[in-house]
Amino acid sequence: MSERRDPFLWVGGGIVVSLAAVAILAPALAPFDPRAATGPSLASPSAQHLLGTNDAGQDIFSQLVWGTRSSAVVGLLAASLAVAVGTLVGTTAATLGGRVDLFAMRVVDLFLAVPALPLLILIAALAGPTRATVIFVIALAGWPGIARVVRSRALTLARSGYVEAARGFGAPRTYVIARHALPALGPIITANFVIWAGTAIVLQAGLAFLGLSDPTEVSWGAVLNRALGSPSVYVTSQWLWWVLPAGLAITVAAIGLAFLGVALEPRSNPRWERT
Amino acid sequence: MPVRDSTVALPATAARRRARWTLVGSYAVLILLLVSLNFLLPRALPGEPIAALGDPRSELYVGDDSRRAAVQRYYGLDQPVGEQYGRYLAGLVRGDLGTSIRFNAPVSEVIGSRLPWTLLLLGVALVVATAAGVLGGVHSAWRRGRRADRRLLTLFLAIDNLPVFFLASLAVYVLAVKLGWFPLSGARTPFSQSWGPLRQGADVAHHLVLPAGALALQLVGFQYLVMRAAMVTELGSDHLLLGRAKGLSERVLKYRYAARNALLPSVTVFALQLGFAVTAAIFVETVFAYPGLGSLMIESVGERDYPLMQGCFLVLTVLVVGANLLAELAYRRLDPRMAA
Repeated sequence: MSERRDPFLWVGGGIVVSLAAVAILAPALAPFDPRAATGPSLASPSAQHLLGTNDAGQDIFSQLVWGTRSSAVVGLLAASLAVAVGTLVGTTAATLGGRVDLFAMRVVDLFLAVPALPLLILIAALAGPTRATVIFVIALAGWPGIARVVRSRALTLARSGYVEAARGFGAPRTYVIARHALPALGPIITANFVIWAGTAIVLQAGLAFLGLSDPTEVSWGAVLNRALGSPSVYVTSQWLWWVLPAGLAITVAAIGLAFLGVALEPRSNPRWERT
Repeated sequence: MPVRDSTVALPATAARRRARWTLVGSYAVLILLLVSLNFLLPRALPGEPIAALGDPRSELYVGDDSRRAAVQRYYGLDQPVGEQYGRYLAGLVRGDLGTSIRFNAPVSEVIGSRLPWTLLLLGVALVVATAAGVLGGVHSAWRRGRRADRRLLTLFLAIDNLPVFFLASLAVYVLAVKLGWFPLSGARTPFSQSWGPLRQGADVAHHLVLPAGALALQLVGFQYLVMRAAMVTELGSDHLLLGRAKGLSERVLKYRYAARNALLPSVTVFALQLGFAVTAAIFVETVFAYPGLGSLMIESVGERDYPLMQGCFLVLTVLVVGANLLAELAYRRLDPRMAA
């Protein structure tokens, strides 16, 4: 890894590790049950309620802490699903070539030409915005781009000297995949996974902000949805502790994962291909 | 200048015309797929969403008799699926998108009254974002690796990752609430229809600044990165070297020689961004209560007004897909190499 990209790695990695720690330690870090009314309605920040309470008397700080866990789960699962499908389609298209490749890439193009959010809203609204639906629709938006990148990388790889040499020696396809294809594709798959985890977190928050989330789920987006639906949020200073921290949490998570993704992304550096 | 030759459209040969029709055909298939998806989803998803509208035990039950009858007539659930599909397609051709439960008016009329606002918002934001992104990209690439370039790069990367709904809310709080420079929400002052045209225009523009600005900020990063990359590739080209040898000024070299050739990918980005812009516009319109199609779709989701929600989906997606087709056709004219 070149030194120029190190800041991205440290900043991004630091943010991601901290957020993961908050997600894991949520029960210990949150002072209150995020769903219970533990204070007066719409209280200002105090020693007891660090970020005040919402209109239902729930502790906002505790909601943000638990919201980290919700974001982490959705980000991980949605990105895993998108990367799994994208990698499968991309590598299959590149390996089989011909009509399969043509067909797969047509489907990818179709998906990329359709604006994502209206489709996600339609499915989530009709199927009911449970956590499973939300993860599914986010993965649905993510796989085509990943398939395209993985395919083009796999195609370059198939034409490279050492893979052709291995094939020339009569190496079976499974050997080529295990020994050469997966290690060479690894970095780009990892980078895409990280980048999509960030996109998934923003999308989940966005859907929840629009009101498309499980009403029982505590998440950053749900905090925003409730806050911006409250008539007093702009008129008083509530915005500062109700909207700003939740918005910053989403932003920091997005920037952290994007930076880490940039740091992990393989550039046109030949050393990356030799492992 | 070498740019000239490549922008002249070659006479359309049979092969190029065929390629163009293949393109139009594949987009036609895509639109048919979207239309079919819009038909299938409410019928195939678990919970039979639209059947619930007529089920008294469901929380989705439409209480008003005439509205429920209109919805059931539109979806025609008592008929075979093939028949339903045929009637749905025939209705679409006539511009019939059903009746909105909430407004008790044809969906096409409700959408028609909101669509112009979305087009205005998208148009202004896309033009501003493209202009700013292209200029920033040209400047950055010209001084690549130096401080100005690194600053711009970091700035645009950070802006690119701000969630647009948070950015929009931030703009409302700081610029509209605290500073009072702009109106909080909406597209015009209530009851302003009696004002003179000039005053009305200024009012609309004043309401547009924040939503269009937030949307443009969300779009500018991508345009910048693409322009920067294209411009950097252009910097090592021979005609630039020749221009420099001839003693041309930096300005001419930068804008007329390098930037002009590097503009081509921006056309593609403009089209690619439309889909993304519609996504961002839904958030922006919701935060600013801007009376466009995006906020209408979210309102219809909240009200469980399925015919209206589906109408919004169809119009928004077909709009983007149609614009993509136009952009791809334009791109082929601009770059004859692509047409083969």
